[in-house]
Amino acid sequence: MSKLEEYFHTEWAALTVHDWVGLIITVVVFFLMVGLYVWVFHPKNKETFESRRHIPLENDFDSEDKK
Amino acid sequence: MEAQVEQKYDFEVVRWFTIMSVVYLVVGTLLGVYIASELAWPFLNFDTAELSFGRLRPLHTNAVVFAFGGCALMATGFYTVQRTGGTSLFSNALAWFTFWGWNLIILLAVITLPLGMTQAKEYAELEWPVDILIAVVWLAFGLNFFMTVAKRKTSHIYVSNWFFMGMIVMITYLHVVNSLAIPVSLTQSYSVFSGVQDAMIQWWWGHNAVGFYLTAGFLGIMYYFVPKQAGRPIFSYRLSVIHFWALMFGYVWLGAHHLQYTALPDWTGSLGAAVSLAMIIPSWGGAINGMMTLSGAWDKLRNDYILRFLIMSLAFYAMSTFEGPVMSAKTVNALSHYTDWTVGHVHSGALGWVAMVAAGALYHMIEKLWNTRMYSPALVNLHFWLATIGAVVYITAMWVSGIMQGLMWRDYDEFGTLTYTFAESVAAMHPYYAMRAVGGMIFWSGGAVMLYNMVMTIRQAMAERVTAANAAATA
Repeated sequence: MSKLEEYFHTEWAALTVHDWVGLIITVVVFFLMVGLYVWVFHPKNKETFESRRHIPLENDFDSEDKK
Repeated sequence: MEAQVEQKYDFEVVRWFTIMSVVYLVVGTLLGVYIASELAWPFLNFDTAELSFGRLRPLHTNAVVFAFGGCALMATGFYTVQRTGGTSLFSNALAWFTFWGWNLIILLAVITLPLGMTQAKEYAELEWPVDILIAVVWLAFGLNFFMTVAKRKTSHIYVSNWFFMGMIVMITYLHVVNSLAIPVSLTQSYSVFSGVQDAMIQWWWGHNAVGFYLTAGFLGIMYYFVPKQAGRPIFSYRLSVIHFWALMFGYVWLGAHHLQYTALPDWTGSLGAAVSLAMIIPSWGGAINGMMTLSGAWDKLRNDYILRFLIMSLAFYAMSTFEGPVMSAKTVNALSHYTDWTVGHVHSGALGWVAMVAAGALYHMIEKLWNTRMYSPALVNLHFWLATIGAVVYITAMWVSGIMQGLMWRDYDEFGTLTYTFAESVAAMHPYYAMRAVGGMIFWSGGAVMLYNMVMTIRQAMAERVTAANAAATA
């Protein structure tokens, strides 16, 4: 067995319920994050996202006259 | 206009959270300066248990994190959720309950911690009755925030609100689990966790108090106040979305990096370090997003002293979110762990990031809430320089001290015995402890200047209001 294989060797039968729950959550979150990156950075979504940049500047009152 | 604003929004409670935040900034950092001085000149404990470092240190951390930081978060949270949603709070009464409840908790901390009543959990020292009160008041804050978001008049929930909501959910979960204890009396309890599990839960809470309370919450502040003060939209909304979710999913893994080379399984520390290094990406993405908001308008920093606070805080945020992952790596951790380097790192985040972004937001709100200009912009500038120089002096002292400590502790002679005794390393720290106390004093004096400027600004606003009312009456 190569050193790399040894490093990644896993005793699957020894995993407890907690280990499985953690593993599944981790893998699911990983794919969700990949999906998020694709969704957010897809060119067709750019305009929708970036249209929200101005929200803090769109307040209905600002006595900017004092500025 | 002012009357319309007052009718539409619930700002009185925000004003009081703002005032108390500045008061606690001064009190909390003064306590820090005092205990830093005790480390340099131990006679300052005057052989009085209540004044000793062990009793006052948790009071300092509670004062700056929960009193100052908490009031700043609640002030800005209640302010921004109303402003970005175009609506008043879900319940003004619940907001006042949160205000009085939070201040009662702070009062109880001031009483119990110097008396030595503690759970001995870092950043969670308060005993179980106060823990229950914290949970109740925090949930009241959370319920009010979420319900205000629900009744917003806008279609989209702006990203700053996401950061606040993430903080509220995660801190509820972390605080409740970490505080689970068996009470044996009103002032004494024992954690339900023991041994290495207790250590793991403690640092799961400890690092996430930093990650969700002092980072996510204050990023909520950054995402509203940087664009607002700069008068420019945030550089990239897409980056802010990635920043939010990466932070939410990533931060929870980091706690184990506080326990490298302990009884904790080795792989947990490695995982903590690996995710810590990965967190540089969203953290720097967020910092760049904030700073690049000024792209094409950097000249604003020349005259806008409030904006200087916000941008400088992002520089410190970027620096400390790089330093933290580096320190979490096992090789570096072997040198840095248990040394003053950690203290320096914490304070580069606390003084440079948290306090400065909060100061910028508080100055912005003072002008808006009292509908006036700051009494003295020159004093805002003075505060900026005192805060920056104080933080840098503090951090530099702790870097030198910490690395020297680490090197002295692991130095062996040719016979395989330790070169230095622990006492010798303590003696070697003295100049840096004195330098740290001076840095802290400089930073504190900036807070005192801010308090004075705020009081004078409020008095000025009240005088302007009386003058305007008199003019209206005579017209």
